[in-house]
Amino acid sequence: MAARSAFGKGPKLGRKQVYLPNFEITLIRNPKLPPTFAAFIVPLNFNKLDLRDYLWNGYGVSVRGVRSFIQMQKVRQDKPNAKRPAPRRWFRPRSIKKMMVEMDKPFAWPQEPEDFSPWDKERYDAIKQMQEDSRETQKLDYVTKPTAERKSIAEQAKELLEGDEKWGPTDWEDVGEAQEVEKEVKIPEAVKE
Amino acid sequence: MSTSTSLRPMARRLLQPNASQQIPPSFLLPSIFAPSPQIASFSSTPNSFYPRDNNKQRGVSSQRRTGLRQPVSVSKTALPTPVNAKDLPKIETDPDHGLWGFFHSKEKSLATPEEDAAHGRAWCVEELRAKSWEDLHALWWVCVKERNRIATENYERKRLNAGYGAHEAKVRAAMVRITQRGIKQTLTERYYSWREAELLAQQDPEINLSADGVSYTPKEFTEEEYVDEDVPEEVTEEEAIRAEEALKSQAIPPETKPVEKSPDAA
Repeated sequence: MAARSAFGKGPKLGRKQVYLPNFEITLIRNPKLPPTFAAFIVPLNFNKLDLRDYLWNGYGVSVRGVRSFIQMQKVRQDKPNAKRPAPRRWFRPRSIKKMMVEMDKPFAWPQEPEDFSPWDKERYDAIKQMQEDSRETQKLDYVTKPTAERKSIAEQAKELLEGDEKWGPTDWEDVGEAQEVEKEVKIPEAVKE
Repeated sequence: MSTSTSLRPMARRLLQPNASQQIPPSFLLPSIFAPSPQIASFSSTPNSFYPRDNNKQRGVSSQRRTGLRQPVSVSKTALPTPVNAKDLPKIETDPDHGLWGFFHSKEKSLATPEEDAAHGRAWCVEELRAKSWEDLHALWWVCVKERNRIATENYERKRLNAGYGAHEAKVRAAMVRITQRGIKQTLTERYYSWREAELLAQQDPEINLSADGVSYTPKEFTEEEYVDEDVPEEVTEEEAIRAEEALKSQAIPPETKPVEKSPDAA
């Protein structure tokens, strides 16, 4: 990156010129940090000096200091793209490198949206719940678990026992005498042998 | 660590300045040198284990919140009560702060799927071939910033569990990536054509690749006299009109393509 950028003379910077950087940097929200701090997810091969120069040359943010740490990810079963996760085939996702910078000027994040209807959150959550429920039925111990009806049956039984409800036969609609539907079909009287 | 734990309290007692100064009176001498009576202790643990070492901080634990053994100068000062984050004064952010470059808008922290989907196509290589290096470099940085923006909002969407929108962001990011690929292809093509031109120039006697001297000395050549043999000597008026009409009928206006919206990212 150029020692002098479009934002004028900045802090002491590196002199190595990088022309076509091909990586992403994610700004992450951390409400616990003071407003002069900002946290980023950076590539694993990034160092503190890289981030300082990148922020100055790309965004005009003057940085006083950088803190860096790497978060190891949890071990999980099989790779994320596996169709059926094989048991005991362990996979650890790549570590995530995070950096915190101290800036000259404070920065407050824009507000979180209160109404999530543009993202269709209701339907999204409902479908997610449905998928979760159907995944439950695939588990081995699903049959040993009490069904959803059991609760309802218990409630009904309790109501009957306490006398809140009275048992009676199902209400059938009285439609009168039985009628012959197939009137045109002639049934032979008796088959003589 | 050379002395054993049982010896240490005894040694300390002896080294105490008060003890050395106070000499017991003479009438107590028989009691001091008398054989010690046998005492059956209630506890089986030998008394010499306590205090077990010279650690002044023994028993002080931050995990068990024991506090200090002695009060300190600030012990009487009450601790300040924490203020709720909502009651704190609002932070005024500079409208020109560089970190706004990580968001699509200053009003909300993530764009809606409709806003994400409102973009055009990527730049194609044919368009990029006509651009200068400065333009291409500027466009590359526009792409880099857009990708950072998308990544930031992706993270925020997941954190808030906001709902749909991942697909729109993915398509938008793909457009940016295609533009970046086009830039790289254009630059690669330019590099190969430059190298081929250099090879040609090495064989060309007219071009001087060494640093000194004139780089290009064109050879003298005479233009051959062009003799057109079958020039129509006279064109009649009728023929001229006919030729004009034929030209007009051929001159179909070129197909006008609808001007496509320039890519939002670029």
